[in-house]
Amino acid sequence: MSNLESLKFFWPELILSATALIAILSDLIYERKDSHKVSFWAIGGLLLTFITIRLFGGSSINGLFMGTMALDPFSEFFKILIVLSTIIVMLMSFNSSELDGYRKGEYYTIMSIMAFGLVMMTSAIDVLMFYVAIEIVSIMSFFLAGYLKRNPNSNEASLKYVIYGAFSSGVMLYGLSILFGLTGETNFFAIKNAISQLGPDSNLALILSIVFILVGLGYKISAVPFHFWTPDVYEGSPTSITAYLSVAPKAAGFALIIRFFNIAFGSNSAMGSDEWSSLNSLPWPFLIALLSAATMTIGNLVAIQQQSVKRMLAYSSIAHAGYMMMAIPVMSQSGIYGLMIYLFMYMLMNLGAFFVVMYVQDKFDGENFDAFNGLGWKMPLLGISMTLFMVALTGLPPTSGFVGKFYIFAAVIEAGNQYYWLAFVGVINSVVSLYYYIKVVRHMYFEGERSDIVSLPESKLTTSLVLVLALPTFFLGWYFSPLVEWANNSLNFFLGI
Amino acid sequence: MYRDFGTILFLVFMGIVLIYAPLVIQKLLAPNDPNADKLATYECGEESEGSAWVQFNIRFYVVALIFLIFDVEVVFLFPWAVVFNELGLLAFVEMGIFLLILMLGLAYVWRRSDLDWVKYNVKYGRGRYSNLYKKSQTIKGS
Amino acid sequence: MDNLSNYVLISAILFSLGLFGVITRRNGVAVLMGVELILNSANVNFLAFARFGGMNMSGHVYALFVIVLAAAEAAVALAIIINIFNNFRTINVDDVSELKQ
Repeated sequence: MSNLESLKFFWPELILSATALIAILSDLIYERKDSHKVSFWAIGGLLLTFITIRLFGGSSINGLFMGTMALDPFSEFFKILIVLSTIIVMLMSFNSSELDGYRKGEYYTIMSIMAFGLVMMTSAIDVLMFYVAIEIVSIMSFFLAGYLKRNPNSNEASLKYVIYGAFSSGVMLYGLSILFGLTGETNFFAIKNAISQLGPDSNLALILSIVFILVGLGYKISAVPFHFWTPDVYEGSPTSITAYLSVAPKAAGFALIIRFFNIAFGSNSAMGSDEWSSLNSLPWPFLIALLSAATMTIGNLVAIQQQSVKRMLAYSSIAHAGYMMMAIPVMSQSGIYGLMIYLFMYMLMNLGAFFVVMYVQDKFDGENFDAFNGLGWKMPLLGISMTLFMVALTGLPPTSGFVGKFYIFAAVIEAGNQYYWLAFVGVINSVVSLYYYIKVVRHMYFEGERSDIVSLPESKLTTSLVLVLALPTFFLGWYFSPLVEWANNSLNFFLGI
Repeated sequence: MYRDFGTILFLVFMGIVLIYAPLVIQKLLAPNDPNADKLATYECGEESEGSAWVQFNIRFYVVALIFLIFDVEVVFLFPWAVVFNELGLLAFVEMGIFLLILMLGLAYVWRRSDLDWVKYNVKYGRGRYSNLYKKSQTIKGS
Repeated sequence: MDNLSNYVLISAILFSLGLFGVITRRNGVAVLMGVELILNSANVNFLAFARFGGMNMSGHVYALFVIVLAAAEAAVALAIIINIFNNFRTINVDDVSELKQ
């Protein structure tokens, strides 16, 4: 489909890019003290994007912009997830005292550009679009990680992020160039056709290129062994950005991985089979299963030793990436919609947990476990919500975290007995993670003095945001069939079932 | 054919001779009497001072970065210009939008006074120009 | 030189040099130079494949995009390094480690 014809299916992205431009323009006009008002434009634009995603949803077109982008319910699911988390993080940032004293207009502008990049990531079906989208997201997240430019920690975070990020995307690009050389194509579908005609003598080059591509993608979802940046970047960045980085790029990264490996390397029967047909020379699913097990184990084991809750959550987000990666070697339909459900639940509970950490950081001046002492008695709403988030992150019923984990584990077990060990490792890890999640709860309720004075957060925005995140975390643990159905439908269109 | 290349060879030869002949002649004729002043590096008549490996003002880098961005974006104009005639109005409009977005970036940089050589409202930093902010405050105050 | 494998070899050498630079250099700017080498090695690959494979224009377009993105990335990275220098008075990557390892 030509560029001009594609535009009418491109409204959400057009609105999103217009939002970014309007945000820059309005920031030109506002004085420094009014600069935070840019956020109104940004949030308004994002809401509009959200509405248009819903309005234009449902259709399934595979060749927008001369075959570089796809519009399908699969990308729609991820787009909604990304736009929602962007809006929530922007609202979170209103009350963040870390950002005080900085010009905030740029912050919201960069976030909307990043949301644009993430949305492109979910619908790219061309290697070029794939790379450009990843770079947009990376460059914007370098900015955001180092936004507190007078704060050495934030500086350090952005330095580490930029070095690891630029390096791994460079390696990925080299892998993509080899893939291009082997196949001569850039479209995922065309790549798949070309790969099926390759002789056995190009196997080595193909393996090399896939390993290189996995470096870039693994970095994006912070999988072991490309996770080294994660703890430092998450700890140094402004907390609102940490929350954002731990959710949105991960979701988009998983969407891209699923799309890329399914289309380019999947077998002919879409995703129905669990074999990666084109790549029989190496046991890829097994290798990725190993990486997944390593990711969750390392994330969990290091998280136990942390003193700072923010850093603990950073390692725990590595562990969660490991749980989500379990779905990739399986590559079955149930595995992927399990992953989608998990990501949705993870967005709610992780943003919630980081939001409470941010609040505690601002009010009680510290992000260590000790700062949480007695929080449950002083501020019951925050205490109960944080407990809920922690239980959900562990994956215990009756919270939404359990539902997410249940679907992923079910898919892994369903895939047959060669993956029982992976499910076993996953369960053991969940049990281990209980230790450090409950440690937060212990500090909130059993350490420090109990106070009789009960208070709510001063700002209504904080209260309502906590509720907006906590209530679905709880109720989706009871009533989740609409979400499951939605994920399932999104997937069916994608697979063409 | 042969003669053409012969001409070129002759030109090359003449070029070498014309460059080296004066050098050799002045080497033979000129008196050789060096002293410290004569051997010093020529810096526009000033006495040279210190090493060349000094740190430059950080503003050099900021301006250079801004230049780099806008310079490289122009690379998109070349393929567009080559096939401009075949693409017609649509491509023109598309490029117009692209340039407009770039202009917006430039306007933003300008407005945030990142193009000014001396940026007075730098409040942080420990560089040797960090005193400028204080100076500008006292100038405004007096 | 009219041979694809020469170009791919050059690109592989560039890639390895870049990798070596990123891993061994401790100066932030030198690390970035290593990254640039890696990106350009990919560029050489794209152009060589597009030229000798007789494929299509995608390789050339790709190279253009990579040049621009590499410049954008380098600009951001240098800005971050300037900022690091303002705060730490060093651009040695190893010295910038206040966060817990």
